[in-house]
Amino acid sequence: MQPPPPPPPGRSQASSLTPTAATTGVAVSARGLRHSYAGTDGDLVVLHDLDLDLPAGGYAALTGPSGAGKSTLLSVLGGLEPVQGGAIEVGGRSLGTLRGDGLAEYRRETVGFVFQHYGLVPVLSAQENVELALALSGTPREKRRVRALSLLGDVGLGARASHRPTALSGGERQRVAIARAIANKPRLLLADEPTGNLDEVAAAQVLDLLEALRRDLGCTLLIVTHNHTVADRAERRLHLDGGRWAA
Amino acid sequence: MSWSDALRLALESATRRFGRTLLTVLAVTLASALLVALATIVVTANSRVINQVSKGGPITAIRVAAARAEPGQLATDDFRLGGPLRLDDSYVDRIAAFRGVDAVAPVLDLDVLAVPPQVGGAPHSIFERMVGVDLRHPEHLPMTVLAGRLPAAGLSNETAVTLGYLDRLGLDADNPEEVLGQYVSMAHAQVTRAASGELDYRGRWVAAEVVGVVAQEAAPGMFIVPIEQTRADRDWALRGVGDGDRQPLPESPYSGLIVVADTLGDVGEVREAIDELGYSTSAPEQLIANVQRYLRVVDIVLGSIGLIALVIAALGVTNAMLAQVRERRREIGVLKAIGARDRDVMLVFLLEAGFVGAVGGIAGTALGIATAALVGAVVNGYLSQQGLEGVRLAVPISIVLAGIGGAALLALVAGTVPARRAARLPAREAVGGA
Repeated sequence: MQPPPPPPPGRSQASSLTPTAATTGVAVSARGLRHSYAGTDGDLVVLHDLDLDLPAGGYAALTGPSGAGKSTLLSVLGGLEPVQGGAIEVGGRSLGTLRGDGLAEYRRETVGFVFQHYGLVPVLSAQENVELALALSGTPREKRRVRALSLLGDVGLGARASHRPTALSGGERQRVAIARAIANKPRLLLADEPTGNLDEVAAAQVLDLLEALRRDLGCTLLIVTHNHTVADRAERRLHLDGGRWAA
Repeated sequence: MSWSDALRLALESATRRFGRTLLTVLAVTLASALLVALATIVVTANSRVINQVSKGGPITAIRVAAARAEPGQLATDDFRLGGPLRLDDSYVDRIAAFRGVDAVAPVLDLDVLAVPPQVGGAPHSIFERMVGVDLRHPEHLPMTVLAGRLPAAGLSNETAVTLGYLDRLGLDADNPEEVLGQYVSMAHAQVTRAASGELDYRGRWVAAEVVGVVAQEAAPGMFIVPIEQTRADRDWALRGVGDGDRQPLPESPYSGLIVVADTLGDVGEVREAIDELGYSTSAPEQLIANVQRYLRVVDIVLGSIGLIALVIAALGVTNAMLAQVRERRREIGVLKAIGARDRDVMLVFLLEAGFVGAVGGIAGTALGIATAALVGAVVNGYLSQQGLEGVRLAVPISIVLAGIGGAALLALVAGTVPARRAARLPAREAVGGA
């Protein structure tokens, strides 16, 4: 069965995606970014003194072969890992000093993640998955129920709110994941191969949705992808190879 | 993340691998059931044994005789009787005021001539002892009702009899109800001296209905009556002269006391205080202490078996939770990616472990009590065949709470390592790890 098309970019005043001052995108700036992982033969350096500048509300695609360091760069920018070397500022806030709960707060308040594998909790319904992000930010139960349903409606899944992920198609799952990612009005939206597991039609729908969200929310969007068609839609294309920028 | 949200997520997660969760709960259930069943059986058996040792009365009861204590009295549980020593209300009050004394019940037993119903091979008359006790507080008396009830306090037309009475009448001790409702005529003698100098014996006859059959250790005697009746008989006898050793005057207002100490630990001290007043005492304190020592060993052995079972179940919980953490690495990473803190993740896993433990504890406690009840029924069947009194299952609330709370707590402890491991997983697991 073909998934329903995502809603058109233009939305009513009541929409959850109505731009607000709080959802203005953030500028990302990295200088001399280094990152390595401990290996049996010593440290494996995956990012070599990278510099990066993304304007607030910008839209970039990050490409490169496997092992180039794309996911690591995304992890460091998204606060999934502490900064090991160099400096990163997101919206004027330095990530280098954040650890533990500070990083968790950054991920909760500033960043929205979309994963290739969707990352939905299988025992929760679509609505509950969206509510989970709101629960973590301390949103009251009734308020988050209303917002979760509204967000699912915005991504065209209002009628599937009570379905568990296993009852949804790949494209639908990814749209639930997107609804969850934007639940806390992130200012930086990071997507790791968001169309990697989707067929062409579903991939286009998801990409349309991400771009519409970026326009509506004004958030900064960085997409990691292997797909040239996806990368070509971004305002800016960044290519990593061996942990270094490549032409 | 709030506790309620964490609990909800934990419950949802617990049902994810339903079969594995069920097996883990089952392990906790069986271990908890074993512990509760053993504890219930031990508590019941202990109270039964102590009850037997104390002859059905309070285990802290001390018997006091209206007689002097011979040297070495306190070294033995039994009476070491010397000569008669008057025991009256002033001593009752003094003993009742001793530290560690809960209650004092006076006893007055007298010789009695009884004429039972003339049926079958019953003797025409019986010379026996009639034991007068304070029946307003039967809980202080070493007495067990085998059939019927105790006589009402203050009435002179009711009596309870012992199994010895049934034996004297040639009746079946297995069917004590047989004597209930029968009447026995009883009289205590008054000895007077006629003008000729000869002794004259007169009886004050009372017809009493047999209302109960008891086993008792208050004083030797076949007939248990309200103490008011033996007091009246004593007053009657004192109006006479007595006849020396054969029918002496009951000089002492009481022939003995049952002194109930607050705790077993007080028994020794109270006995010493009574001994200082000069009275001979008897209490099964050393016997009870020895029995308790053996019972304690049994407690420890059976408790250890139950605890070992619980520890094995706890290891099962740990193993199942570690498997959960291994399988949910990416999900844990995603939770962190959307903002969960380490302690949020830890809370979810701890609550999941606690849920497994609590469910297992509740089911195990219910199963344990049911098992103990089944064992009790089998034991009662056997005791009944042997003509013995059955046991009454004792399930203290502490066992129920320990069964449920202990299992939940142990599961929580067992879940600590997996929960910490989950909490420490890096958020980068969300994108597939390093």
